[in-house]
Amino acid sequence: MATSAFLRGGIENMGEVIVKLSEVDTIYEGEHLPAIKGINLEIRQGEMVSIVGPNGSGKTTLLETVNGLLKVSRGEVRVFNVDMSRDPMRARKNIGYVPQDFISDHSVPFLAQDVVLMGRYGKLGLLQNPRKVDFEIAKEAMRLVGVEEFAHRPIGKLSGGEQQKVMIARTIAQEPKLLLLDEPFSNLDIDSRKEISEKICRLHEENNWTTIVVTHDLFSIPKRCNRVLVMDRGKIVAEEDPESVMCSVKSLTGFYRGLRQ
Amino acid sequence: MIPLPLQIILTAITASILAGITCSLIGVFVVHMKLSSIGFCMSHAAFAGAALGLLLAVDPLLSALLFSTLVAFILGPISEKARLSPGVIIGIMFSLTIGLGFIFLNFAPGVAATQQALSILWGSIFSVTFDDLILLGLLTFFIVFLLTLFFKEFQALMFSRKLAEASGINTSVFYFLILFLAGVTVAFSLKLVGGLLVFALIVNPASSALQFIYDLKKVLVASPIIGAITCLLGFLLSLLLDFPVGSSIIIVSSFIFGLSVVLSPKRRRG
Repeated sequence: MATSAFLRGGIENMGEVIVKLSEVDTIYEGEHLPAIKGINLEIRQGEMVSIVGPNGSGKTTLLETVNGLLKVSRGEVRVFNVDMSRDPMRARKNIGYVPQDFISDHSVPFLAQDVVLMGRYGKLGLLQNPRKVDFEIAKEAMRLVGVEEFAHRPIGKLSGGEQQKVMIARTIAQEPKLLLLDEPFSNLDIDSRKEISEKICRLHEENNWTTIVVTHDLFSIPKRCNRVLVMDRGKIVAEEDPESVMCSVKSLTGFYRGLRQ
Repeated sequence: MIPLPLQIILTAITASILAGITCSLIGVFVVHMKLSSIGFCMSHAAFAGAALGLLLAVDPLLSALLFSTLVAFILGPISEKARLSPGVIIGIMFSLTIGLGFIFLNFAPGVAATQQALSILWGSIFSVTFDDLILLGLLTFFIVFLLTLFFKEFQALMFSRKLAEASGINTSVFYFLILFLAGVTVAFSLKLVGGLLVFALIVNPASSALQFIYDLKKVLVASPIIGAITCLLGFLLSLLLDFPVGSSIIIVSSFIFGLSVVLSPKRRRG
């Protein structure tokens, strides 16, 4: 793995280790081969890490292994020093997750504001209803992402891009310490992509979040990103700084074809 | 038509309205989560329980209730353990309980036993006692109480189980609870309204409410109101035209659903 001295120095100066994967394999039920294998990874507080790779390289599997939605077949995942195979709920209250291509059916009985408010639910206790402050945080998250005008509209009636923005607002409302974004800009137009990416970067810096962004589109890598992990066939095959990735990439297909060769 | 004492009529109307409220409240979850076959499954679980009761010389109504509650209790964990959709497990349990029911009947003494066990599937609204009313009232209160207490968990679960789980909500408990409450609601309502009507009361009012409303809280208020009105209108129709009560309620609820589909703003363009 190639990591520049400059980058290593920058990472080492960052906070404590928030995400630690040690020799992790994840095998889907009914499969023989692991979707990700032998993953060793440390991500420190305040880092923004992008994970790139062609389709089927294991990016989403890695992300869902980090938040414990997928169980590891081998190895250990620790997030906030919590063993995710033992007590994932404790860690998840501080993990924001935007899933890939989450589109609601047009008739579901949920308004956009309900969906954003749901981001607060994990943090509230079992018998605790959302308080005034939770509604205000949800409203502010919608304002930040620019979806406040959709607040009273049914989520299923919004376009794919608008729904994606609502999902990002939901995650911001959660006030997470670790943000997992799976292709968060895939349904956004170029202007929205740039705008939301910049807002996430700003929030990341202001709140000292730790952020992992999964994308297959190398041009979607946030500029603020500290490291780019390149995945192929379930493994992390390279680690680069974002600028060198962008400089070395003439075209997406060329980059990924290079990987496969 | 033989005139019925007023007290029996009032008890029957109250019972059907309570069943309408309970079934259509839980129906919102059943319809949204595509679990409508739970109505068939629980009816036949009750049938198997009644047959077992006859075989063991125990009150068939009590054994029907216990057996179907047991089936309701294990539906969720089995579906989770087997990693199959609850729809599949409900289908399997449906056929299993029919099979078990007939095996139990085979060993139960006399033809009357078969009649008695099958009567569980049809119910009898006019045989409802005051104790049944109390029981149904308690069930209604219990369900409303739980839905109010854990509304945010149920809402998050209905929106997306995966996202609810990812944000730190233990979804399994609430998922099992919905399946259990749906099963118990069917089991408790069977004696009053029968298997067919329970199915109509679970599916039709909730589906009608969902044609108009996008806010889950409002759906959870509208669905039981539609359920109660449906039962009341159905009951009046049955008294007026001398139709069977269950069939009248089914006809009214289906008519209301049809009307909802036609008038639904969700289907309108522009």
